[in-house]
Amino acid sequence: MIRFLIKGILRDRSRSLLPVIVVALGVFLTVFMSGFFKGVMTDMIDMNAKFSSGHVKVVTRAYAENADQAPIDLAILGVSDLKNQLQSAYPDMEWVERIRTGGLLDVPDENGETRGQGPAVGTAIDLLSPESGEVKRMGIQNSIVKGRLPEKPGEALISDDFAEKFSVAVGDEVTLFGSTMNGSMMFHTFVVSGTLRFGNSLIDRGAIFMDLQDAQIALDMEDAASEILGYYKHQPYDDIAAQSLTESFNARYSVESDEFSPLMTRLAEDAGMADYLAIAENMVGLMIFIFVIAMSIVLWNTGLLGALRRYSEFGVRLALGEEKKHIYRTTIYEAILIGIIGSFVGTLLGVALSYRLQTHGWDFSELTGNIGMMMPSVFRAQVTPSMFYIGFIPGVIATVLGNALAGFAIYKRKTARLFHELEV
Amino acid sequence: MENSSIIKIEKLIKRFSVGKSEFTALNDLSLTVERGEFLGLVGPSGSGKTTLLNIIGSLDTPSQGKVTVIDQSIASLSHKQSAKLRNRHIGFIFQTYNLLPVYTVYENVEFALLLQKLSSSVRHKSVMDALEWVGLTDKVKSKPSMLSGGECQRVAIARSMVKRPEIVLADEPTANLDSKNSHHILQTMKDLNKELNTTFIFATHDEKVMKYLNRKISLEDGQIVKDEIIQHSKN
Ligand SMILES: Nc1ncnc2c1ncn2[C@@H]1O[C@H](COP(=O)(O)OP(=O)(O)OP(=O)(O)O)[C@@H](O)[C@H]1O
Ligand SMILES: [Mg+2]
Repeated sequence: MIRFLIKGILRDRSRSLLPVIVVALGVFLTVFMSGFFKGVMTDMIDMNAKFSSGHVKVVTRAYAENADQAPIDLAILGVSDLKNQLQSAYPDMEWVERIRTGGLLDVPDENGETRGQGPAVGTAIDLLSPESGEVKRMGIQNSIVKGRLPEKPGEALISDDFAEKFSVAVGDEVTLFGSTMNGSMMFHTFVVSGTLRFGNSLIDRGAIFMDLQDAQIALDMEDAASEILGYYKHQPYDDIAAQSLTESFNARYSVESDEFSPLMTRLAEDAGMADYLAIAENMVGLMIFIFVIAMSIVLWNTGLLGALRRYSEFGVRLALGEEKKHIYRTTIYEAILIGIIGSFVGTLLGVALSYRLQTHGWDFSELTGNIGMMMPSVFRAQVTPSMFYIGFIPGVIATVLGNALAGFAIYKRKTARLFHELEV
Repeated sequence: MENSSIIKIEKLIKRFSVGKSEFTALNDLSLTVERGEFLGLVGPSGSGKTTLLNIIGSLDTPSQGKVTVIDQSIASLSHKQSAKLRNRHIGFIFQTYNLLPVYTVYENVEFALLLQKLSSSVRHKSVMDALEWVGLTDKVKSKPSMLSGGECQRVAIARSMVKRPEIVLADEPTANLDSKNSHHILQTMKDLNKELNTTFIFATHDEKVMKYLNRKISLEDGQIVKDEIIQHSKN
């Protein structure tokens, strides 16, 4: 009997083609969107981890409260000592110091007069020591547009957009204006060793990357740093592990009454990352829900049309001694079959497009140009194992639901009535 | 064994509700049919022929009265039992053939056997036998759309006969056929009637059918107005 139904579905294109297309389309969108969101979220989280939040981050309690102002006057003092303690207490992680500060980047002409000036985000990382993993972590080498990495103190990288705007060439000097840790006026001149583009609008607008020691000298921050970031050496971010790590650290080091005592936070707590993570999860659920509803309605209607055209078939089958219940059930089997075929096609397409977007990316920089969020401007999807089955949920549920609703109308009719309609 | 009649109808009333009122389609109708009859129900449109066939075929139930088909009381059958009765014992033939367009001739006939748990070799033999009765063994792979009306109706006959039912109910089987085809399928049915002792009941307007019948019942307004046994001079 099942074989018979399959033959029917395959031969009666008008019965199967439209539902298969509808299902395939919905499933395709579900699968693709799930891959897309997953990819974007993963990139976003990864980018945030590398650039700002680390897997875990240690700052002073006071700094944590004003983190968005990057207040260097609230930096960690005695930072190398704390870093060493962290390194020995948690050796499976790599601990790095960073300084973040805002300032004005000034471009002088040949007479030393200001030729151009713009706000800049200053980031100081360990650029020069050979064992530092920071250059690699932040992908600086790959992001260099012109020039090269700093090789000696006094050299810095600036964002390419900024350099273009003020026609700064490699080898030119730029001056960073700001305030020192003690609040006095600061200016420090760097030689531009190269220019950078990260594909992140926030950083690309105006940024300067300098060596940590240069910054410590310029900002009067001897043995001080804004933050210590910790990265798992051998594994990706793991929220549960990070949580127990922060708890144990804070219990030992953090004193609530001392605003300069260190406080450790984890990636998920940073900048609403937890919300992003939750959104990414909910988005997929929401999408499945929407597609189930939308596809069910469409399939309900195509199911009704299909059933109308099949009145005579149902009538004959009744006459041949098939029970109405059985006919109803076989239409559900057919729905499952169509759902599976459609889901299969949709999944294939969705995974294919996600894969394409995983390997090639989709440059969104024009659209995200003005967003101040830490967000990658090249969107990449991510192919995940769940993509291979996730589409079958809306695909099969919708066809079954649609057909069940359509079939119900027939089921409710009396046998005789169905049969009467068959005569006409 | 009890030599009972195959169909026994006593004081059958069938009412349909039409909006708020009721319409009586069959009115106090009594009838007995013996095994092997070749019986025609004639009468004007709306006289209740189809309604009566549907009740005999357990596709519909009596409003009142008693209808016994092959020792089973139609009114008391469950869905499952009435489906089984149709599946095993009753064949239907329709005016519009009602073949399933996506299936081949062979599959259309086989369909009737799928609900019975038969091995495919048994099914194959039965289907080929049935197609042989109607002379269509050369069209097994054809789709209904490639057949003439007469051929379609012969497939429908094969489909109704393949399970060797005791009763075949045929509603206007010749209405869409020309005279040559009508005679052909009537002769086919008549032969099967003789060979297998199958009881045939026709609802028809068609004069051509009359000369094949051995009993003719005239209906008017849901009542039997005439019941004639027809003796044929063998020719
Ligand atoms: N399901 C139904 N609901 C309401 N009325 C019905 C129903 N089925 C049949 N009738 C009515 O019962 C009457 C008898 O119908 P039936 O189909 O039995 O006539 P018939 O003798 O077969 O006519 P025809 O020669 O046109 O096929 C008709 O008036 C018809 O309108
Ligand atoms: Mg009729």
